[in-house]
Amino acid sequence: MSQSETPVIELKNVNKHFGDLHVLQDVSLSVKKGEVVVIIGPSGSGKSTLCRTINRLETIDSGEILIEGEPVPQEGRKLAELRSRIGMVFQSFNLFAHMSILDNLTLAPVDVLKIPRKEAREEAMKLLERVGVADQAKKVPAQLSGGQQQRAAIARALAMHPKAMLFDEPTSALDPEMIGEVLSVMTELASEGMTMLIVTHEMNFARQVADRVIFMDGGKIIEENTPDAFFEHPASERAQNFLKTIRDH
Amino acid sequence: MTQTSIRDMLYESPGPKAKKRIRFFTGLALILLAALLALVIRQFAVTGQFAEKYWSFFARFTTWRFLGEGLLTTLEAALTGSAIAFILGFLLMRGKLRRNRILRAVSTALIEFTRGVPTLLFIYFFFLVVPKTGWKPSAFWKITLPCAISACGVVAEALRSGVNAVPRGQTEAALSLGLTETRLFYKVVFPQAFRFVIPSLIAELVIVLKDTTFAYIVTCADLMQNAKVLISNYDAMLSVYLVVAVIYILINYLLNKISDRLALKLRRTAAEGSKA
Ligand SMILES: Nc1ncnc2c1ncn2[C@@H]1O[C@H](COP(=O)(O)OP(=O)(O)O)[C@@H](O)[C@H]1O
Ligand SMILES: [Mg+2]
Repeated sequence: MSQSETPVIELKNVNKHFGDLHVLQDVSLSVKKGEVVVIIGPSGSGKSTLCRTINRLETIDSGEILIEGEPVPQEGRKLAELRSRIGMVFQSFNLFAHMSILDNLTLAPVDVLKIPRKEAREEAMKLLERVGVADQAKKVPAQLSGGQQQRAAIARALAMHPKAMLFDEPTSALDPEMIGEVLSVMTELASEGMTMLIVTHEMNFARQVADRVIFMDGGKIIEENTPDAFFEHPASERAQNFLKTIRDH
Repeated sequence: MTQTSIRDMLYESPGPKAKKRIRFFTGLALILLAALLALVIRQFAVTGQFAEKYWSFFARFTTWRFLGEGLLTTLEAALTGSAIAFILGFLLMRGKLRRNRILRAVSTALIEFTRGVPTLLFIYFFFLVVPKTGWKPSAFWKITLPCAISACGVVAEALRSGVNAVPRGQTEAALSLGLTETRLFYKVVFPQAFRFVIPSLIAELVIVLKDTTFAYIVTCADLMQNAKVLISNYDAMLSVYLVVAVIYILINYLLNKISDRLALKLRRTAAEGSKA
């Protein structure tokens, strides 16, 4: 395999249990540079857990996780360094509640990447501009709408110049009228070539931006296909049923 | 943003009937209190507590200077003791939240021990036992250190409850950005935890202040000790105790006001952000 083909994210036969519950069963997947992969599946199927194992917010029992060809370190500075290279966007935004939006964006670049504060601020403002919340920079998260918070959270992750971004249901906690603004920021990111792994139920968005769709159920990857093929002709009965339930919504 | 007080959350706002009832009982309570006060004052008058000799020395500057010096010592002991209690409490809290089992067990034991033992026993320990070891701390430290030790376990638990109240998502976000656990504790978790527990910390400062009134045991010249000197000099127990009680009440009232202000301000900055 040549250097350029090394996937940014690669999982090989990953298994994970929560007590007796086998949440990830022999999961293997890879995300190449610039690829956008959407994970879809019913609640409790292990999508969040899968996302969180990639930057080791959850440990795994067996298997292998490689980032740019290297195994994820188990602890310490090496692990922190790896996490800094992978952006993560949470369902509940998780902006730091006691800091201004601007400080949210500069904390890690200054603290982890040792970028001079002034430079970090300038770049943070550019990023906030890009996601359309520059006018909110001096406020604390609680003063922003959900959509603004999530866009700021995406900007915070981008401030670390990540090699890939993980999104765990980034629009599920939002009021319907705010979903669009977040998805459009993500669409733009995808078009700029960002490597992305996205858990979402937004089917139109998935069809528009995904290179591949992965369907999970009961801790297993059931099928994997191009978005058009998956949404038009799901192969498995489970996927067919699942798509029916979310379409009927 | 409007401030919701705990009272507002617990009770619905009273209607016209309830308002009438509240006014009635408030009035009744005030009348009863006034009657009680009148009775006490009358009793004092009967027993001659208002005689001039019990009060005239309060007209002298030296009396107030003497009490003032005592008050300064009291404040110094309370503030120093609280600062030490905060540092010790912080260390114990860090210890109790560690993964290392031994560190955790030792911290837990120390927290329970300092919380369980009455302050007075620590004071007697410093008064009677410590000097026998050859270490002879001054009277000031003999009251300040036991008060600090007695408070540190409570401070540790207050801080820990604050840390536990910080949502897990804050930690996960910081981890995902590459912060190490130590850095994220000081940058993300503790600043939030501290804001949550400021009222409990000030409440503990008031307790330390009250504990320092035991200073007379180790003959440290605090407000209480100096008051006792005045009492024996002028044979004027009631008047001196009354004045000293008022001073303590005023200080604690002031501390509570500061605490409320601070809590309100921090909540406001959290809600409104730094409008630069
Ligand atoms: N920390 C945990 N401890 C125990 N069980 C968990 C934990 N996190 C998730 N689970 C369980 O693991 C399963 C998969 O959860 P999750 O990955 O969150 O699913 P999804 O994101 O697809 O809804 C669920 O049954 C959930 O209850
Ligand atoms: Mg989930």
